[in-house]
Amino acid sequence: MDSDTSQKPISATPSAGSRVQRRSFAEILLNVRELAPGLGLAAVVLFFTLQTRNFWSPQTMTAISTIASTIAIVSIGVTMLMICGEFDLSVGQNFAFTPIIWAILFVTNGMNEWLALAVALALAICVGMVNGLVTTIFGIPSFITTLGMFFVLQGLNNLLISGHQLIMFDPSSAISLLGARIGTTPFYMPLVWMFIIAGAFWFVLARLRYGNWTFATGGRVGPAKAMGVPTGRVKRTNFILSAFFAGLAGCMQFAYLRGVTQGQGQNYELLAITAAVLGGTSLFGGTGTIWGSVIGAFLLATIQIGLVLIGVPGSFYVTFIGVMLVIVVIANVRLGRFGTNQA
Amino acid sequence: MPLHAQAPAPIPDKTHVIDRSGEPVFELRSVSHSYGRNKVIFDVSLAVWPGEVVGLVGDNGAGKSTLLKIFAGYQHPTSGTLRFMGKDVRFATPADARAMGIEAVYQDLAIVDQLSLWRNFFLGKEIVRTIGPLHVLERQRMRREAQQAISELGLTRVRSVEEPVWTLSGGERQSVAITRAMHFGAKLLMLDEPTAALSVRETRNVLASIGRARDHGLGVLYIDHNMNHVLPVADRIVLLELGRVVRVMDRGEVSLEELQDLIARRP
Ligand SMILES: Nc1ncnc2c1ncn2[C@@H]1O[C@H](COP(=O)(O)OP(=O)(O)OP(=O)(O)O)[C@@H](O)[C@H]1O
Ligand SMILES: [Mg+2]
Repeated sequence: MDSDTSQKPISATPSAGSRVQRRSFAEILLNVRELAPGLGLAAVVLFFTLQTRNFWSPQTMTAISTIASTIAIVSIGVTMLMICGEFDLSVGQNFAFTPIIWAILFVTNGMNEWLALAVALALAICVGMVNGLVTTIFGIPSFITTLGMFFVLQGLNNLLISGHQLIMFDPSSAISLLGARIGTTPFYMPLVWMFIIAGAFWFVLARLRYGNWTFATGGRVGPAKAMGVPTGRVKRTNFILSAFFAGLAGCMQFAYLRGVTQGQGQNYELLAITAAVLGGTSLFGGTGTIWGSVIGAFLLATIQIGLVLIGVPGSFYVTFIGVMLVIVVIANVRLGRFGTNQA
Repeated sequence: MPLHAQAPAPIPDKTHVIDRSGEPVFELRSVSHSYGRNKVIFDVSLAVWPGEVVGLVGDNGAGKSTLLKIFAGYQHPTSGTLRFMGKDVRFATPADARAMGIEAVYQDLAIVDQLSLWRNFFLGKEIVRTIGPLHVLERQRMRREAQQAISELGLTRVRSVEEPVWTLSGGERQSVAITRAMHFGAKLLMLDEPTAALSVRETRNVLASIGRARDHGLGVLYIDHNMNHVLPVADRIVLLELGRVVRVMDRGEVSLEELQDLIARRP
């Protein structure tokens, strides 16, 4: 629906026509939800460009783009789920769980790499199905369901590789497809996948009936249900998407790093939500954009790497993000961007 | 005529006779309903024939909205049967009811504020182009048709079908919901206090639309607390008291004052 704001509205009545035409270009631009986070990202990039000598170096580009693209892919699934009014706190653990399963089957047990990947992703889908079924059947907050799943997966991850690192030595075709370098550029495959997935889900939200149903379910579930939208099914599907993309992004990180530890994806559940919120997705459901979340992910990654470049201790990054998140939400609420229309 | 002093409604012509020999459009047979342990509907039987307006009246909490939600497939009755055009039906979801031409304007479930007007209008009834597993929205067509329906049915002040609905006033939102029901309703139209937020002009519009729907052979179930609105349009008035049908009155059987006294008395 976000893209619609830029379309020229049709109006039959004369009064409607004149009212619409008076909307200036600036007003239309202000209605693009990605504008504010986009300007924020531009400002941050400009700041680090001026403050550091090597911001545009290939190493920096690689670091920012790979961190941003994995967070963004997780965040795309989380955004779909948040738009329909639910949360997923288990994505960070899933981000480790799925590649751990893949690595155990394929590296340790010598299963065909594609089959192993399929099994691992199928398990990720199962995680999402359980989250969705428990939440919709018992009508409990997904905050609780997925917090439970967070601990379940954390325990499993511990059990499966307790403290070791699973390392992949021989590059293979699946690994290349998910994590290889793109030619001689400083960029890696996760970035390509991010653009493909983001484009696909922009289309889903703006142009498909399913997108309409996702917005409606999160906007107000009662009227959506009364109009015949299968709200439970919509939620369950988005739980699956969220889990699937968390697992897939985790596999990409494994493919890129050629190794996985149980600590992979720590905090990613919160970073994915943060990226979505920085990008303009409402915490209350009903509004949000995919490209906003992508921008939010780049904002997080740029700040993380940029702070290191200007010599701020790495651990300060999360402190900085925490403060920024709260300021952005206050600004959004003040501007009536979200939370105003929940009555 | 004090009856029409507040909000003139269309007076049906004297020859309007309802043929109740055939099957009703919709019928509840011995329906009871409980919310958890709280039983709110007791053994209600109620039928609406084609071309008939049934006014459903009663005190707050009598169970009017609950009955409408059962008709619409939003609530599943704890016991009893639903019959549509002479056949037993079970609605799994409101989508099943809507697919049969049953439309409702709910008291509390009208509109999704964040969606634009045209998306609200077509919610659950989207016009799509099916490409493999994808249902692609026919956006231009839905915009055009929503705009057309809204200007035809009198909601002229609506600026643009692109506006998110929370930018509309309460009455305008209500009008959108009513227009939508009128647009999609083919067999049965149900309105739960549709005029509660409406101006005199919009109220007249709605009452006139109810008359038109009836003339087109739709059954209409109409809930309102204002007897000045109900009495002129209703062919029958059903009085609900604490979840039970206590009286069914034909047109002309009661006066405005009698009806108001009936509803106001403490059971
Ligand atoms: N979702 C619900 N959960 C539990 N109880 C409900 C629910 N909805 C209604 N009730 C109860 O059912 C009874 C009937 O409610 P209903 O809304 O059908 O009344 P009504 O006749 O439409 O009243 P009003 O004129 O105030 O709209 C009330 O006692 C109410 O408390
Ligand atoms: Mg009611």
